[in-house]
Amino acid sequence: MPNYRPVLFLCALAVAACKQQSSPNGAGAPQAGGASTQAAAPSGNEILIGATLPLTGSESRTGGFYKEGYELAFEEANQKCGIDVGGKKMQVRLTLLDDTSAQATAASLADRLINSDKVQFLLGTYATNLVEAQSVVAEQNAIPYVNGGGAATAIYKRGYKWVFGLLAPVELLAESIMKWVDTEQQAGKLPKPATIALLWENTSHGKDFRKGVTEWADKTKNYKVVVDESFELAGKDFSALLGQVKAAKADLFLADAHLPDYITMQRQYVTAGLCNKVQSYGARGAEKQAAESLGKKNVEYILSAVWWSALLAEKNPEAKKFVDLFKAKYGGRSPEWYQALGYETARALFTAITQAGSTDREQVKQKLAALKIPSLLPGGELTFPAEFGQQTHAPFVVQQNLPDGTAPIVAPPDSATGKGTAPNPNCAK
Amino acid sequence: MERFVELLIAAILLAGLYATMAYGLGLIYGVLRIVNLNHGGIIMAGAYAGWWMHSQLGIDPYLSLVPVAAAGFVLGMVIYLLLVKRLPRGAAGGVQSLLLLFGVWLVLRNVAYLMFSGNDQTLRTSYATRALDVHGVLISVNRLAVFGVALLILAFLHLLLTRTYLGKAIRAVAQNPDSCTLVGIPVERIYALTFGLGTALAAAAGLLGAALVPFSPSFGASELLKSFVVVVLGGLGSVAGTALAALILALVEVFAILVLPAYLTAAVGFVLLVLVLVLRPGGLFGQRVLG
Repeated sequence: MPNYRPVLFLCALAVAACKQQSSPNGAGAPQAGGASTQAAAPSGNEILIGATLPLTGSESRTGGFYKEGYELAFEEANQKCGIDVGGKKMQVRLTLLDDTSAQATAASLADRLINSDKVQFLLGTYATNLVEAQSVVAEQNAIPYVNGGGAATAIYKRGYKWVFGLLAPVELLAESIMKWVDTEQQAGKLPKPATIALLWENTSHGKDFRKGVTEWADKTKNYKVVVDESFELAGKDFSALLGQVKAAKADLFLADAHLPDYITMQRQYVTAGLCNKVQSYGARGAEKQAAESLGKKNVEYILSAVWWSALLAEKNPEAKKFVDLFKAKYGGRSPEWYQALGYETARALFTAITQAGSTDREQVKQKLAALKIPSLLPGGELTFPAEFGQQTHAPFVVQQNLPDGTAPIVAPPDSATGKGTAPNPNCAK
Repeated sequence: MERFVELLIAAILLAGLYATMAYGLGLIYGVLRIVNLNHGGIIMAGAYAGWWMHSQLGIDPYLSLVPVAAAGFVLGMVIYLLLVKRLPRGAAGGVQSLLLLFGVWLVLRNVAYLMFSGNDQTLRTSYATRALDVHGVLISVNRLAVFGVALLILAFLHLLLTRTYLGKAIRAVAQNPDSCTLVGIPVERIYALTFGLGTALAAAAGLLGAALVPFSPSFGASELLKSFVVVVLGGLGSVAGTALAALILALVEVFAILVLPAYLTAAVGFVLLVLVLVLRPGGLFGQRVLG
């Protein structure tokens, strides 16, 4: 049996050293990392950061993933005795509340965190509609609000100064897919011009996706949109819509859908005998659950574009560091983009505080606005460009489901871990 | 022409699902004069019950229809005997029943969140993506099966209500509960059985819905709305009217895509509902007593 005593001794020494630095006058030391739901006034040696996440309700699964990312970032910072603020190490403490996936609750809890719990900074919740409501409270109270859960450009077009977003806009998602399609078209693998059947959910996400595809088609003149229809969420029957797609005989089938609609639509797509040269459901496609629900064969060659993939660890040192940390903490489980964005959101705030050398809100806001750091995101750099309302514009990674069950990154070229296939070979069978 | 046939088949198959979802709501309203807001919760529970039997016990969803409906029946009886029975009858009871049953739905939904999380689940069967080729038109086996079950349920309800003593008693209670008491029909027992039957039908509908689309604890909300539209269109308390209304709603929704943007087709049913309420408040087929 291995002897762990020296390791335990060193850990105890490290913890004791941190305690001495953070609590020189014997005041109670904060929890090392982890989420706390208890409110307490911050001591002079710690930074109190508030956040809400949808830990129950319809978004509870994703909310749990973001929580893992936040916890990992806080734990990592506190294991190093806290973050450096003007030459002094300060512990970071998270006050995390459950917004129950409800927009009104997210906004009211943000107000509580700022005005009752007296947090100094805010991390965002998940899902565009919740971030949209919560960011108003942050702006009104002039508190830095960094979020990795709101992608709609509408959030960042309001001229807000205190709101920073790590999720790149959905137009870029569509553009990333179209860029890859363009490459295949230039290589002579797809017709020129190519026709597109475009279906999009009737949400801000879907509208942004549509904008990305149509603007690309208009710009390049190499594509013609022959079907352009939206649909309501949680549809029971897409056969009429898919009938239009079938009648149009389009080369590309591009849809933007949430997971349940993706599964329902793809099930009917396969049943109707449809096969397009290129097929995508926007951010959906590579999920294990979809392959289990539909059968591996029925999701082959589907393209998807996401904000982050664990496969980036092969090319990006920051991503590798995160994946290693995550696996060490969570028993070897591989992270998804939700945890990565949660982790990076907290890390961006910590870095800005360190760069400001102070916990002054105004100074931290200025540092966030000017932030430029190596990142685990695709492209390897994190910034909040003012021209995009302080929403990052990191590229998306495009993945394609292969018959062997893997989904390598096929674009952008600097992140690619495999080569994509077009047109879909199954259509020829 | 081929497109027309495809749309027609899609509408007929969709009507099967809509009718199955609405039978239970219509039956309970027709007899107890209660709008069962917990209908959505039972639909969700039926979906999870079928999913659990399929994933844990390996039972085909269509084979588990009977045990799921039986469990729904027992649950409905329990809800009636423990909660609904205590409500006052008449207008005051109507408002209270809405609040009570809405509360039960919220409890069921939160229990589901605790037990299964908010993850979307799917029922995957070997025939989930299979289709029958009928003269070049592909028809989903799964949707065809759901339609078949909807027809069976319609036939079962028709026979039950017209050929059995229980059915006649249910219709009598729906017509005049006070007179039924005078002639010795156990009204309270009929109420309990009807509530159980309506709940069983909702649970079966949830299972059939889950065979077609993914579901989560929030499943059942839009299904309740659709059921409500179908029941009002068909005329409250009319089983045959419910089936015909489901067909009309599905036809209108599916064919609307020829003249309207796709995202508006879901709203067409609600426009139809408003028109019917204004022009024919008793429903397209008039108010009947479960005939």
